Amino acid sequence: MTVEKIISFIKQKPDLMFAFMLAFFVYCIFAFTNDYFMTHRTSFAIMERFAVLGLVGLALTLCIIAGEIDLSIGSNAALAAVIVVRFTDSLGAPTALLIAVTVSTIIGLIQGYFIAYLRIRAIVLTVGTLMLLRGISLFVAEEKTVMLTDFRIPDFITTKVLWYFSPASLTVIAMFVLVALFMNFTKYGREIYAIGGARKEALAAGISLKRPMIIVFAISGFCAGLGGVIIGLRSGTAQALGLQYLLLAGTVAAFIGGVSILGGRGGVIGAVIGALTVNFLNTGLVFNVTPAFMVQLYLGILLLVVIMFQTGSVIFEKRQRRYQILKDIDDRRERLKKEMTGGAQP
Amino acid sequence: MSSASQPINQLPKPSILERLVQRHSKLAIALVVVFIIIFVYGMVTAPNFLTLFNLKTIIRDAALVGIMAIGLTFVTLSGNFFLLSMKETAALCIIAFATGMASGWGFELSFLFTMVFALLAGISQGALIGIGGNPIVVTLGAAGVLYGLGAYWSDNLVVSYRRPHGAEWLGTGSFLGLPNITVAFILIAISAELLLRKTSFGRQVYLIGANRAAGRATGHENFWMAIKVCTIASVCSAFVAIAFSAQVSSAQVNYFSSEFGSSGDMTIMVIATVMVGGNSIMGGFGSTLRSSFGAIFISTVDNMMVLHGFNSGPRVFAVGLMIVFSIIVFAILRRGSRSEE
Repeated sequence: MTVEKIISFIKQKPDLMFAFMLAFFVYCIFAFTNDYFMTHRTSFAIMERFAVLGLVGLALTLCIIAGEIDLSIGSNAALAAVIVVRFTDSLGAPTALLIAVTVSTIIGLIQGYFIAYLRIRAIVLTVGTLMLLRGISLFVAEEKTVMLTDFRIPDFITTKVLWYFSPASLTVIAMFVLVALFMNFTKYGREIYAIGGARKEALAAGISLKRPMIIVFAISGFCAGLGGVIIGLRSGTAQALGLQYLLLAGTVAAFIGGVSILGGRGGVIGAVIGALTVNFLNTGLVFNVTPAFMVQLYLGILLLVVIMFQTGSVIFEKRQRRYQILKDIDDRRERLKKEMTGGAQP
Repeated sequence: MSSASQPINQLPKPSILERLVQRHSKLAIALVVVFIIIFVYGMVTAPNFLTLFNLKTIIRDAALVGIMAIGLTFVTLSGNFFLLSMKETAALCIIAFATGMASGWGFELSFLFTMVFALLAGISQGALIGIGGNPIVVTLGAAGVLYGLGAYWSDNLVVSYRRPHGAEWLGTGSFLGLPNITVAFILIAISAELLLRKTSFGRQVYLIGANRAAGRATGHENFWMAIKVCTIASVCSAFVAIAFSAQVSSAQVNYFSSEFGSSGDMTIMVIATVMVGGNSIMGGFGSTLRSSFGAIFISTVDNMMVLHGFNSGPRVFAVGLMIVFSIIVFAILRRGSRSEE
């Protein structure tokens, strides 16, 4: 009974199973090659990385589900990091955090509004805002690396809770649960799937483009802002031109998690598994003393392989469907011929 | 003669201004007007702006970004959005060139050696895009791979070679008072425009960009087109990498990253140039001439802000503002003229 259930689940979600296998495979590679990888401390480190990368992966997953991609996510995170580090000393951490996350969310919201209002592709607008936000961050940081003077906050954020977690990663997990509930059980969440998978049909059915687009980009801005805040407060420093690597890592996480570039597919669980896979790879490579640029090389290869698999499967499905249609037409012709000859004889 | 007896086909001829508005898009005129206003404003306020030396500096600054933007325009016109791997292709190529020069192969052999890498990068990315991969995601991954390869090859160190090395003429030489890189920019701009306007290849680029289904129906698959345009873009990046390396006699993978140059990331600058020039990102509308003027426009604004004493923050902000502004203006102007994809 349970076995049948599991098999049917696998048949329903092949992408998710593939992602899970990949994550397990990557974990096993490093667990076998490095003695220190399968320890409590490493798991804590992985969860710490997950706090940031998971958020970015989640944001990009939502964007790609809606059929768009947010290229300005690294800039948005850098802006939030700069704001929070700059103003923590004068205003206190909670106020600075609130300001940074609010600013990022509002930026996302405005982006979503413009994309829906002007009916342009998100990539076009977000390339522009990528540069614009870098300019604003440079302006806020006064072209310097900003630093914290009070290091009690970084200490608080990285305190160990329950062996593997810290306040930061617990917040992120709560965020994941909230977004998962939102996407699966509310009307607004389903609208996001609808405008991604079949935009013309969704618009014809009366869904406005504005509301889901604004929600997606607001969540994306919120995630980017929170990620930037966590990075900024944890390390105590922030650079206006930093955090460029987040886009590649987040995209890899989203695509491993099973989103389709055509939109409408994927989910929050996939984003979790994707982000964990990237984190295993990242942490494992650091443990094996690999230079940072090699991590980028591996991530690039991973992304290309995943996207090629996906493109291949799309082409295969299309061909299969065309073959099916041709076969149907042939069958119908045969049947008609038989009926006509059968009707002519008596 | 009264106007009632005048035949309809002998209406009074429209004035030059009216004809200008009819023939060209309003936006092109708006762009020119904005350019003239800024030019005049800068002429009046900025110190030393309107000297021949400064004008040469503007075009020289525009040259490197401009050449890359001309390459990228082919990709954009053919409806493949843009490549996020421009600066990483250049990074790999600059390492290849400097390695060749440092081994004493001479300019010509190093040039060919670099072009082999440019061709490989262009063809592989083009093939991946051509079989149906999303250009943004494919080139995002390819960017990581190309940068990683370049860094691995050079061990993330500076590769330098000594003067005289036989490539000074490209980096620092000049011809009739113009720097050679400016001359190259002008020549590439003219030949690219001729390639687009006068050859069947150029018309195919427009066809596939404007209507991919019509292109497929007439036997012009995007597969070969993607390979061709990506190769052109990669070769242009490689040329920029060679010119830059010849200028500074060294190479490192992060020469084209955010630490380099006045206004941040090279890839984003190139995309900004293509957009500010007014090319349609969905393809089929635009020209390389627009990109060249976009490069000169951005360079002029940047130059004026430098002369006014702005820091890098406001300058990056200004470029970002120009992109967003041009996107919004173009989207409003072209509303309804093209169906959404």
